[in-house]
Amino acid sequence: MQSALLVQLAKSLGKRQASLELRWMRRAIDSSHSGIPLDEMVSRRATGEPLQYILGTQPFGPLNLLTRPPVLIPRPETEHWALMFADRVAAMAADTPSHRRLKLLDLGTGTGCLPLLLAHTVPQGKLDTHAVDISQHALRLANENAALCGIPSQSASKNTFRTYLADFLANDFPGPSLASALPIDVLVSNPPYIPDNEKLPESVLNYEDPKALFGGPSGLDYYHGIARLLMRPGLFSTNAVVALEVGHKQADIVEALLRDTGRKTTVCLDPWGVKRAVIGYM
Amino acid sequence: MKQVKETEPFETAWDRWKETRQLLDETQVLLNDPDPSMRLMASEEYALLKDQATELLQSTFPTLLVPQSTTSHLSALLELKSGVGGQEAGLFVGEMLRMYQRLASDKGWKVDIIAKNDNDDGGVKDAIVEVKGAGAYDALRYESGVHRVQRVPATDSKGRVHTSAVAVLVMPLVEENDKQGEELFTMDEIKLEVMRARGAGGQHVNKTESAVRLTHIPTGITVSMQDERSQHQNRRRAFQVLRSRLLDQKIQKDMAARRATRLNLVSSADRSDKIRTYNFAQERVTDHRIGLTLMNLSSVMEGDGLLDFIEALQKHQNETEMEEMLANDID
Repeated sequence: MQSALLVQLAKSLGKRQASLELRWMRRAIDSSHSGIPLDEMVSRRATGEPLQYILGTQPFGPLNLLTRPPVLIPRPETEHWALMFADRVAAMAADTPSHRRLKLLDLGTGTGCLPLLLAHTVPQGKLDTHAVDISQHALRLANENAALCGIPSQSASKNTFRTYLADFLANDFPGPSLASALPIDVLVSNPPYIPDNEKLPESVLNYEDPKALFGGPSGLDYYHGIARLLMRPGLFSTNAVVALEVGHKQADIVEALLRDTGRKTTVCLDPWGVKRAVIGYM
Repeated sequence: MKQVKETEPFETAWDRWKETRQLLDETQVLLNDPDPSMRLMASEEYALLKDQATELLQSTFPTLLVPQSTTSHLSALLELKSGVGGQEAGLFVGEMLRMYQRLASDKGWKVDIIAKNDNDDGGVKDAIVEVKGAGAYDALRYESGVHRVQRVPATDSKGRVHTSAVAVLVMPLVEENDKQGEELFTMDEIKLEVMRARGAGGQHVNKTESAVRLTHIPTGITVSMQDERSQHQNRRRAFQVLRSRLLDQKIQKDMAARRATRLNLVSSADRSDKIRTYNFAQERVTDHRIGLTLMNLSSVMEGDGLLDFIEALQKHQNETEMEEMLANDID
């Protein structure tokens, strides 16, 4: 029975990956985090459904986040640069006067992974995070994740997390509802960056939200939009820091875009050696 | 300051010894007192004091001579690997895992299996287990070595006895925020690799690729970890195992150096040496280092028989250390 499932899974994943994933499935069932029978998990996975949607969770740094279709699943590349960036924001928080809190804006929050990790990691009571997304599904999931991680929407003593339904490429963005998020001290985003015509694995294409993946013909539409926001007066504090995840060939172009807004830049490599995030600072 | 604290027990014992001697002298005079009731009291007192003095001489002083363990606060990291014997060895790894889990729960230690590779036939190829609790390392450290099992496998229709082996390595567990861990390596001595290419990565790929491999360049020690779905978590585990391996190496080196300075030629068991045999047909477990045999295999595997071995080994170790010291003094 078990070995039959392993064979079924190994056909689509290879033996090494199949035995790992089978173990994670079994672990989710044993700890009663999932009520789905093992054979159903295996047949769903064998037809290409992402493991994270089947199990309903994905670890992200020290956090365990809920995942649900079609909201973009947090990637290990994102986890990696976000953990490094969290140290930088923690240092910024330590440098600000004791009565002042930093304001963070996340554009295209998805599961909420970026602001929730930062709110969890940075010393408490120093950071208010504001998360924007165009998808109701995403915002609902992000709020469930905030509750799961114990991060409130309002608190004097703790870091906070709030969500806003908005299209950040729209002309009227940020609009009056985001007034409390201004001026922004930290801007983060993992915007859709895949060029429209690019081929993707079926487990991505058939399950995850295209609105979270495709960034126009070159994949760069959202970076241009973010650069325009950075030039607008009144939105950012003078020493605001920007951290943007980029696709595997986009770091140089995005660096140039951020330099044009008067910022210096550094690039973070992901664990596979790919230029994965561009940090812009004054 | 540390030295003062370490010599405190000696001082206390010595003060008690002096006091007891003085009281003995004073009481001796009263043994010849003209008053009979005084004589009676004195003789009772004298007997009591004599017992106290004997206790100090025979028991308190010798235990003070054995150096205090510097590892008594440490938890342990236990590594089990199936050796020769194929399927049988793998099955016995599983049984040994349960044996150590049972011991840990009796002792009130917390057990966490942090890596485990199962064989297709139900056995366990290898496992790394964290045993958390004070004294876990000192109790388990003499389990390091090759454990041999002799029995008829369920699968052998002819009923022949097979011999297979399991290698056990017990290392001290170094907690993440333990200062001791920081001195063991620097980050530029570490090569960190992730498994396999990931193509474009990022949003293009949602396959879980969390396996990591650490290499400590100066020693060539490598640690691979793939059990967790989070790469971050696997990296933390891998560093934990690396710290334990490095601290273990350091302790072994210190011990070898200490032995060398004592001019003692009796070597301790090498880790590739066979240390214990579990013979199922005879219901027998023998520890080859101290020649101790228990004719109750099931109590070792399932009861408190293992504790008998552990205590005997600790006692043996204390005695050996004392003999080494005395031999050194005579030289």
